[in-house]
Amino acid sequence: MERLLAILEDIQPGVNYAECETLIDGHYLDSLSIISLVAELEEEFDITIPAVEIVPENFNSAKALWNMIQRLQEEG
Amino acid sequence: MSLSSLLLAGRGTDMTSYFSLLYLGAFLPLCLLIYSIFPRRGKKYFLLAASYTFFWLISGKLVVYLALSTLSIHYFGIWLDRIQKERDIAVKAAEKENRKELKRTYQKQQRLVLLFAAILHIGVLLTLKYSPFFTTNINTLLAHLHIPIHLAVPRFLMPIGISFFTLQAVSYIFDVYRGTIRADSNLFRLALFMGFFPQIVEGPICRYGETAEALWNVKTIQFTNLKLGLQRILYGLMKKIVVADRLNPFIQEVFSNYAKYEGGILAIAAVFYTIQLYMDFSGTMDAVIGTAEIFGVKLPENFRQPFFSRSISEFWKRWHITLGAWFKDYIFYPVTMSKPMKTMTSAARKKIGNHFGPLLAGAVALFCVWICNGLWHGSAWSYIFFGMYHFVLILSGNILDPAAKWIHKKLHIQPERPLYRFFQMVRTTLLVIIGELFFRAEGLRAGLSMFQKILTDFRFTTLNGDLLSKLRMDQFDLFIVGITLLLVLTVSILKEQGIRIREGLSKKNTAFRWAVLYAWILFIVIFGAYGPGYIPVDPIYANF
Repeated sequence: MERLLAILEDIQPGVNYAECETLIDGHYLDSLSIISLVAELEEEFDITIPAVEIVPENFNSAKALWNMIQRLQEEG
Repeated sequence: MSLSSLLLAGRGTDMTSYFSLLYLGAFLPLCLLIYSIFPRRGKKYFLLAASYTFFWLISGKLVVYLALSTLSIHYFGIWLDRIQKERDIAVKAAEKENRKELKRTYQKQQRLVLLFAAILHIGVLLTLKYSPFFTTNINTLLAHLHIPIHLAVPRFLMPIGISFFTLQAVSYIFDVYRGTIRADSNLFRLALFMGFFPQIVEGPICRYGETAEALWNVKTIQFTNLKLGLQRILYGLMKKIVVADRLNPFIQEVFSNYAKYEGGILAIAAVFYTIQLYMDFSGTMDAVIGTAEIFGVKLPENFRQPFFSRSISEFWKRWHITLGAWFKDYIFYPVTMSKPMKTMTSAARKKIGNHFGPLLAGAVALFCVWICNGLWHGSAWSYIFFGMYHFVLILSGNILDPAAKWIHKKLHIQPERPLYRFFQMVRTTLLVIIGELFFRAEGLRAGLSMFQKILTDFRFTTLNGDLLSKLRMDQFDLFIVGITLLLVLTVSILKEQGIRIREGLSKKNTAFRWAVLYAWILFIVIFGAYGPGYIPVDPIYANF
């Protein structure tokens, strides 16, 4: 989780990622940030994030992102 | 065309508009009546039969395209489903370390099926819609290069709505491939999703997961749904026949004979056309969504007060929403999320930073989206120009974003202040109007010439009562259009604030409700632009 928070902070600083639950709906992450984020997460966590996973439910909070990462790691 | 000849021959354009007398006065009421008396279990089959009858009436034998498209996509879905089932069994039985490889093998098989299905469906659309355009341009190029070859330009009869139902078919097979939905084994359910008559001509472009089940489970018509649905149809009718049709003579005359008019009048025509397009298309969507509401089915909205947008990018999230969402899900993200693009994003981000790094992949994907968006609207250079115009605007918005923020800071501009927001809305609307000028112009050359005249010859000297009467408009027309637009603006402001007008109205006392309803019907009957002297605008999006 710490690694994820660091990536988010690096991509778009100044947001309280530990608590924010409206990263997409609140327009904190735009489509360009998402493109960066996906590329970074894949590299860092050795996962493949298919386009179908790019939905607000998976990107609205750090917790949701973390759940998606873990799920994709388990699915291999 | 009489109803009997329509029934025999099909292919009557009289019903392409959901506001035509034949549709609103005969087809829809008859359909609702038979639907009401049909046994509950058979209602969905009746709806399917009514949908194919409707399509037959407007397209004749071309209905075969819809049927074949449905059959083929149904088969591809089943094929994918079979691979997915085989994969699940094989993965379950395999050792953990072999599962990843096994999944990849099945993924490759699925990708081939998906590719085959997409090429087939989009290929048919490309052949019917674009082959004359491409061959004409190839011939021009060959002539320029002095190569003595001339290709025959093919002409095909194209069924109405093909651009809409093809996108629905492709989204269905994509979603099965991605696993967001299971393939439908019931051909009739899929056929109803593909061909539901209120949406077949102009959309909205629905996703299987959104509407198929609701359409298949239609029930008895509820009074509340009937009332709310009819009110919505009435609202759409007002937009169409009071505003869109009333502006039509002016727009037709000026766009057809633009060389005769000065820049100021061309600018008015561009503004009128933007209003007409919005009133026609969003009005049709009101009728479509209202009709589905009567059957208890909620179709996705296609418009969300687009002229309140503060940027072009936001405008496209509020205008023709289902088309934008289709391009985002099936073109933008698949392109940006492709392996080469991801590698490029990672490398670029480290070199040129967080903002510009992902912009490269974003720009490539945006280019693909907007070339497709332009071409989707029609096979002409003016549509490609229209797509590229919006591509450049959105991309520049992204590139200039850090500079804009810097300027706001330096000049102490607070972007959230009402006056600045209003300025942004006006700016966006002006940019939209320029785009629509090229969209409507009779060819790219005409569009460029009109735009140049607006910039260099912006005068209104010939604009007087004589000219207006020549353009079959008078002050009364302008007054009626103005009043109706004010009404639509008020409704839009209320909707923007989250106020549900129809639900609010239903809570008022009976006398008030009926008074409003009668006044509204009278307003449409008295001020609707129909009869001699008016040529109703053809449903604009039906041709795309």
